[in-house]
Amino acid sequence: MKVLLVDDDPVARAVHAMLLQMQGHEVVEAADGELAWNVIQTSDISFVISDWMMPNLPGVDLCRRIRSANLAHYVYVILCTSKGVKADLIEGMDAGADDFLVKPISPEELRVKVRAGERILKLQQVLASKNQELASINSQLRSAHRLVEDDLKAAAWMQKRLLPQPAQQVLGIRSAWYLKPSGYIAGDIFNVFPLDSAKIGFYLLDVAGHGVPAAMLSMTLSMLLTPDATQGSPLKRFDSATGQSHVLPPSEAVRELNRRFQSKDDRYFTMVYGIFDSESSSFHLAQAGHPSPILIKKGQEPILLGNGGMPIGLWPEIEFDCFDSSASPGDRLLLYSDGVTECTKSDGEAFGERRLLAALAGNESKSLGDLVNDLVEEVSVWSGRSDFSDDISLLAIEITQS
Amino acid sequence: MQFEQSMIASALIVKIQVSRVVAGVASEFKEALVACINQGHKKIVLDLGDVTFIDSSGLGALIGSLKAMGGEGQLVLCSACDAVINMLKLTRMDKVFLIFGTPEEAALAIS
Repeated sequence: MKVLLVDDDPVARAVHAMLLQMQGHEVVEAADGELAWNVIQTSDISFVISDWMMPNLPGVDLCRRIRSANLAHYVYVILCTSKGVKADLIEGMDAGADDFLVKPISPEELRVKVRAGERILKLQQVLASKNQELASINSQLRSAHRLVEDDLKAAAWMQKRLLPQPAQQVLGIRSAWYLKPSGYIAGDIFNVFPLDSAKIGFYLLDVAGHGVPAAMLSMTLSMLLTPDATQGSPLKRFDSATGQSHVLPPSEAVRELNRRFQSKDDRYFTMVYGIFDSESSSFHLAQAGHPSPILIKKGQEPILLGNGGMPIGLWPEIEFDCFDSSASPGDRLLLYSDGVTECTKSDGEAFGERRLLAALAGNESKSLGDLVNDLVEEVSVWSGRSDFSDDISLLAIEITQS
Repeated sequence: MQFEQSMIASALIVKIQVSRVVAGVASEFKEALVACINQGHKKIVLDLGDVTFIDSSGLGALIGSLKAMGGEGQLVLCSACDAVINMLKLTRMDKVFLIFGTPEEAALAIS
């Protein structure tokens, strides 16, 4: 170890230097405090043994200067006194001295005190390097986290753009909706669109699982489930002979989707897909493992339609549950994800279908938007928190003309 | 996640000791079941007696395990509560998985 030995007495300095060298240390000498301070500032000295009484800068002041200098590394300081007076020790400790040697210094005391200091310095160095390592990992994590967060925010923005736009009006129906992802992005998605001059399609789907994998599949599905992808849309069948495409009934559209989304693992989604046909004044719906949609016919109590069905993506060539209903102006239909009915309050009780039906009953005079917003409010009060553990989505539609 | 394994006749009974089989535990749940399948068990009874809720991820894990059996052997369920049975019925999984009242009944049926 390199030791800076500070003493104005050249004889004492020579003796102590020799002792230190015999103990295997490299010695740098300084004849007073100011000279020592110059050495400390310009070298990597981390061990100082300094006499107390010196011209220019006494040892105790050198010690104070070291402590207040904010050096890059810790400097271990041993002060030498010739008296060992208690008041001196207190002043020296106060100045930041780590240890003391009383003159005349015995070789054995010098050896053990330097070794003790060396041990402390080593521990301090290990700690400092660990700290540095942690700080660097921490900053890497912070920037990685920021990157992921930015990505998720961008994905959330893109996902929002896939939802029905507020200004978007589909002739013959009115719609209102709500989507609250459990994280940044949702595995739930829905839409409403005209399929042809008489038919309006609508769906709400919920990809199993959460987070990015679920959201990516939901966004892929959202882009596929449009009537515009003329030849690729699973909602229409393209007849190459006539160059025309016709709207598939929901049962066939869902079967086609199931055929295309066979996954090797356990990835799947649940969905309700429906068509409102203004020519026949009816709803045609297919339910694939998704919670039952609620039909509120004008002047009647809300009822659940259907009772489940197999989810999409698990097994090829399965039939899905389908049902029809008449649809007249004023009739409303609510599609929702299980995040609504499975939303639990603090004691674990789920919101459930019964409460959902009750919340919808007798609200005919309420606008569709208010109906959805009030329902969300009720679910949120039920859960007692604003962040939900599952995506919550609701799509309400109302027939405005037949 | 805790699992308790026992044998009744030639069937392996796996009891999941967790009340909510949801996203956070679903993959661990599937890994445990797949490990049993890879050990050569072909008759497995999944005891859902402690389970009060299964979400879509949990159901996915169940189906993934069934697929991992590759059509050989049987994976059946027992002791499911009403909420779990309703979830299984909604998704028609009651057509895919046989559901029994007790582990003994289940083991007897598939042994």
